[in-house]
Amino acid sequence: MTTAFWIITIVTLLGALLAVTLRNLVHCVLSLILFFLGIAGHYFLLRADFFGTVQILIYIGAVAVLILFAIMLTRNVTGEEGPREILGMKWWSGAVIAALVAGVLLHAVRRDATAAVASSAPKPLSVADLGRALVGDWVVPFEGMAVLLTAALIGAVVIALEEVQRRR
Amino acid sequence: MSDHAQHLQQLAAQQWLIPFFPLVAAAIQSLLPRSARRLSATLTILAMGMSCLLAARAFWATLPVGEQHDEVARAFFNFTWFRFGTTALEFGFILDPLTAGMALMVAFVGFWIFVNATGYMAEDENFTRFFCFLSLFAASMLGLVVANNLLLLFMCWELVGLCSYLLIGFWYFKPSAAAAMKKAFITTRVGDIGFFIGILMLYQHTGTLTLYNAEGTGALQQAGSLGQLAGWWGLSLAGTIALMLFIGAMGKSAQFPLHVWLPDAMEGPTPVSALIHAATMVAAGVFMVGRMFALFTANAGDWVMDFVMWIGCITALFSATIAVAQFDIKRVLAYSTCSQLGFMMMALGAGGLVAGQFHLLTHAFFKALLFLGSGCVIIGTHHEQDMRRMGGLRKYMPITFWCYLVGMLALAGVPPFAGFFSKDEILVATYHHNKLAWVLATAAAFLTAFYMTRQMFMVFGGTWRGGQHDAHGNETTGHDEHHGHAHHEPHEVSWNMWLPLVVLSVFAVFMGWLGTPWLAGNLFHHYLAPEMPAPEHANIVVVLSVVVGAAGILLGWLIYGRRPMQHAAEPDPLAGTLGGLFTVLNRKWYVDELYEATIVRATQALGTLFRAVDKLVVDGILHAIAWIWWGVSQLFRWIGDELIINGGFDAGCESVRGGGRLLARLQNGRVQTYLRVMALGAVVLVAIYFFR
Amino acid sequence: MTLTLGHYLGMSAILFAIGLAGALTRRNAINVLMSIEIMFNAGILNLIAAWHFRYFESLTPQLFAVFAVTIAAAESALGLALVIAVYRHYRSVNVEEMTALRG
Repeated sequence: MTTAFWIITIVTLLGALLAVTLRNLVHCVLSLILFFLGIAGHYFLLRADFFGTVQILIYIGAVAVLILFAIMLTRNVTGEEGPREILGMKWWSGAVIAALVAGVLLHAVRRDATAAVASSAPKPLSVADLGRALVGDWVVPFEGMAVLLTAALIGAVVIALEEVQRRR
Repeated sequence: MSDHAQHLQQLAAQQWLIPFFPLVAAAIQSLLPRSARRLSATLTILAMGMSCLLAARAFWATLPVGEQHDEVARAFFNFTWFRFGTTALEFGFILDPLTAGMALMVAFVGFWIFVNATGYMAEDENFTRFFCFLSLFAASMLGLVVANNLLLLFMCWELVGLCSYLLIGFWYFKPSAAAAMKKAFITTRVGDIGFFIGILMLYQHTGTLTLYNAEGTGALQQAGSLGQLAGWWGLSLAGTIALMLFIGAMGKSAQFPLHVWLPDAMEGPTPVSALIHAATMVAAGVFMVGRMFALFTANAGDWVMDFVMWIGCITALFSATIAVAQFDIKRVLAYSTCSQLGFMMMALGAGGLVAGQFHLLTHAFFKALLFLGSGCVIIGTHHEQDMRRMGGLRKYMPITFWCYLVGMLALAGVPPFAGFFSKDEILVATYHHNKLAWVLATAAAFLTAFYMTRQMFMVFGGTWRGGQHDAHGNETTGHDEHHGHAHHEPHEVSWNMWLPLVVLSVFAVFMGWLGTPWLAGNLFHHYLAPEMPAPEHANIVVVLSVVVGAAGILLGWLIYGRRPMQHAAEPDPLAGTLGGLFTVLNRKWYVDELYEATIVRATQALGTLFRAVDKLVVDGILHAIAWIWWGVSQLFRWIGDELIINGGFDAGCESVRGGGRLLARLQNGRVQTYLRVMALGAVVLVAIYFFR
Repeated sequence: MTLTLGHYLGMSAILFAIGLAGALTRRNAINVLMSIEIMFNAGILNLIAAWHFRYFESLTPQLFAVFAVTIAAAESALGLALVIAVYRHYRSVNVEEMTALRG
């Protein structure tokens, strides 16, 4: 398991790094898919098979494709115009701030006694239990999510359609 | 459990039906097309009628039966609304005399206001939207009244605020209406912060927001033990929570420092004013204090009750003085509402729960009557609101005149009318509690009689002054120019407008007798709070209140009635006598200007200060980072890599040039800058947490 | 060396920081949205890791993860719709040019 963890971790980190540094937007999305795959691998490793599947379906199947569509709709495949801003003021300050955030987070993880826990889940996550909980004790938040998704869907359509209606 | 108690229990479980019908009506109307005017009005009025019947049934059930005179008939119905993980959120409805009386009043007065509104809004093109909001308004107020849970109450409370916002700004295309709606919303929101803190404190210390429950662990049932714990500012915990809740009530019920929104709320259509001033919005604050009264009285040593009383007393006198010098027919009434609310709060603060709530009920009837009457006058005179351009309406609008007269006498506290008994009860309660407050309240009662008399003579006495040319030579075309018939004589209004007046005047005459101390004891007192001792009657209070009422009316007649105004441009007779003071009163003691000069300015100054801090501190950090990395890049240059040399050079130039620009760039509207500062702030907070 | 919760937490902290760096430095709004997705995923991974190592008797971590995924999906759909709307308006998706809120 440890070997698998390190391999997947390297893949995930690489995917994330490339996704935020590559210049071509389509390449960025491809790296992002790599990152999503890595996360899905972690889920499988953590015996959360359901979430691994969900990760592939939602993130790679839907979100990544959605982003690709957005790139095509905005006709901006090449990404950033102008000279690369590596070493520019903005790049450096962003990197420093991110490093600071990573620093305090890692420090917090190190100090936390629970981080040393090595016991693991005896059995994979049961999807049936999850389903029962969602329509049982958690039904109201679940329905709330349904409403939220509907609202987001309608909102997204309205926002994206606004201009078309005005032109008519 | 006796049959009666079981019956009450059943009714309590059905209390939700009372707000349910108007809510459904509002939901349906929100989908109706604009042209469905008749359907919309019918729906609203039918739904309100249903609520009214249900409220009447509930009220009937809470009436004392047989010899049960020593116990409050209280039933409640709680249920779990939803579970979130392991925490359950309970909601509930209550049925007790306080709720039943209030719900019946809201539904009944609301019903007649709606009937009147069909006439007042007859020419408005957004008729359905208006009735949709009205229904929602009534539904949220009724929900507030039947709630047995502080969270449900607070939700309805905010809904009431929202509806008043929507309705005050119903004619949002008028800039004054748009300003007034914002003012009402924001001013009441100031109070709501206090209310919300009170709710949170209550939840923290009792673990529940349900007011009463069968196990006796409801928030109000624990008030006694809260009264023993120490809170803030020398108050007990119960007192602190009560103070916070009262701040909310101050905003809602327009008490002294937060009263400024109420007079501006006149910008809404008149039926809305009637609803806000009588049955809903402002009543919510007084009702809530009555509902949470156990917390206010939990510890006898607390100063919170005195605070309530003095705020009420100041409001009562302060607003009454302003009302004397107003010329807008609705503004006089608005300030009189402020003043009467002050009376109610004062009664509550003096321990007179019954007196305060009784005045709330009677006041609702005659203030709704007066507002609807003023609405009739405004329609009858073709949208004229300035009393100087009215006069002589007695001849043109006889029905309105007689009803208005009843309302005015009730408000002025003339003996057989409703206002006399309730106001008298308040004065008695205050008399036993604090003599100075009683004297001030009596003075306010005198002013009330005076300014109402002034209004009567200016509006209905003398001769018709509308259509004259004013001092500037402009034609007095009134408020809305689009009515071409501005020069016509005033006329009586249609039946659907005056019928509510007649009904309400009947109540304004007879309702006070429920609370008279002379007939078989105080009926209302036995109904509402049989466990409390009735205040001892004091003849001096009664005699004095009759005398000051009569004196006020007499003075009003001497100044305004004996020699009625002849011309619209004529100065107010009082202006000569009072001189500069009259102007001060007319400008409402300059409170709005004071707020403008202090709070608004201070907020602006604070904003400027924060911006300066932003520039100096936050920018300093960014600047420092820039310089550090400039140094690093210098280092790279010495190392000698071509790419990094160029990059470092660029960075060096960039940061030197950028340094100057940075100062101007901080409030640049760029989302990434904000995100950066946010992340830095988070880092600093976590660092403080770990390394302090 | 056995795996502990700390490994996962540390890795997700680094992923979060990478995402933050992207969100802070990229000019293209779509890049920024992608970085935000990375941050979201890092957060959700924490929940699952916590379930695996500590709270495997309880369903609550998964349920929270379900809701987090749902919100993330709604957020990305709306975010991309906004990007398209902004593109129509400014003819650009450069976040540095969206300065209508300048103080």
